[in-house]
Amino acid sequence: MTDAYVLADAPALLARARAGDLTAFEQVYRAYEVPVYNLARRICRTVEDAEDVLQETFFEVCRSIHQYRGDGSLWGWVRTIAASKALMRLRRNKYRDADEFEEELHRAPRNDSGLRMDLEAALERLPETSRAVVWLHDVEGYTHEEIAGMMGKTVSFSKSQLARAHTRLRRWLGEEPAA
Amino acid sequence: MNHLTLEQLMQLREPGLEPGVSACRAHLAECPQCQAEASRLDQRSARLRALPALRPSRDHWPALQRQLEVERRRRLMRRASWIGIAAAAGFAVMMAIRSSHAGSGPSSQLAIDEAKARSRQLEQLIQTYNPDARVTDGRTVRVAGELEDRIALVDQELAAAGRLASNARDTQVLGLWRQRVGLLNALVDVHMTRASAVGY
Repeated sequence: MTDAYVLADAPALLARARAGDLTAFEQVYRAYEVPVYNLARRICRTVEDAEDVLQETFFEVCRSIHQYRGDGSLWGWVRTIAASKALMRLRRNKYRDADEFEEELHRAPRNDSGLRMDLEAALERLPETSRAVVWLHDVEGYTHEEIAGMMGKTVSFSKSQLARAHTRLRRWLGEEPAA
Repeated sequence: MNHLTLEQLMQLREPGLEPGVSACRAHLAECPQCQAEASRLDQRSARLRALPALRPSRDHWPALQRQLEVERRRRLMRRASWIGIAAAAGFAVMMAIRSSHAGSGPSSQLAIDEAKARSRQLEQLIQTYNPDARVTDGRTVRVAGELEDRIALVDQELAAAGRLASNARDTQVLGLWRQRVGLLNALVDVHMTRASAVGY
């Protein structure tokens, strides 16, 4: 994973945050607020859920900042907390496969071959789990092993969800190969 | 060999070799149709990465800050309670020992007891008001937090006062208990003023 969001003078800032300095913690919040929200919003169904994940993530970051040893990037650590919170919310809201199947029946009629939409709309239309997997894998750069670990599923599950997501995206974006 | 499936194309992007991957790779090197499909797959992933970042509709820091300050205050109160209990216990032991010897000043002991009783009353009042269960603005939380910090410091000093010589001890202990009562009075004022301002 690349560290796309580097915090200037992170060690000194972290030392202050660990000592309970809220202004230092605010700087951490400001640095990662948008990427955390973006990740949460791409995974969660609603704006409200994403905003809750944003708050829960930083509350957790503040409470366990002393557990961050500096082995990996700070952004990587914050992002994993955010992804876990977002996936937890999906589970809590029962956005499970059964629901997705139900949802899919309503949202994706079988005959949608003439359908063509933009990427944002197509991504939004994906079932929750598939969307989470495609985002975590293709955009955030997590491996199938890491995604499986966070979701409490198998590596095969993560791979099949990614394939399902791309099959749908390809169809909805009108990118299917000519027969 | 048939054209590669999407799953096979994705497998080729993953690190590590699985059975059949080399055959797939060989096919891909020869097949323009599969190469085009692989390119579309890569482009789709690149377009996903290039989507604009979604931003929260409002600033969530003030709410988070309040939440963090409440958490911090709870931690301090818990710590202060334990220090207070320890201080009271230490003080009780000290008084018991002292009462077995002649020469203690009854008037200062009476004043200390009065201050302790008043301190207890004020703590009960705050508990009855239960500030943690109420909506509180950031300024109130900050002021209350500062007062609680100072009370915690007084409690620490009370715990340390037990180690002083008896002459100096009474005067200092009385001063500290009076200081504690003053701070608790201020804390009650902060909470009550806030309560009346929002109509509790």
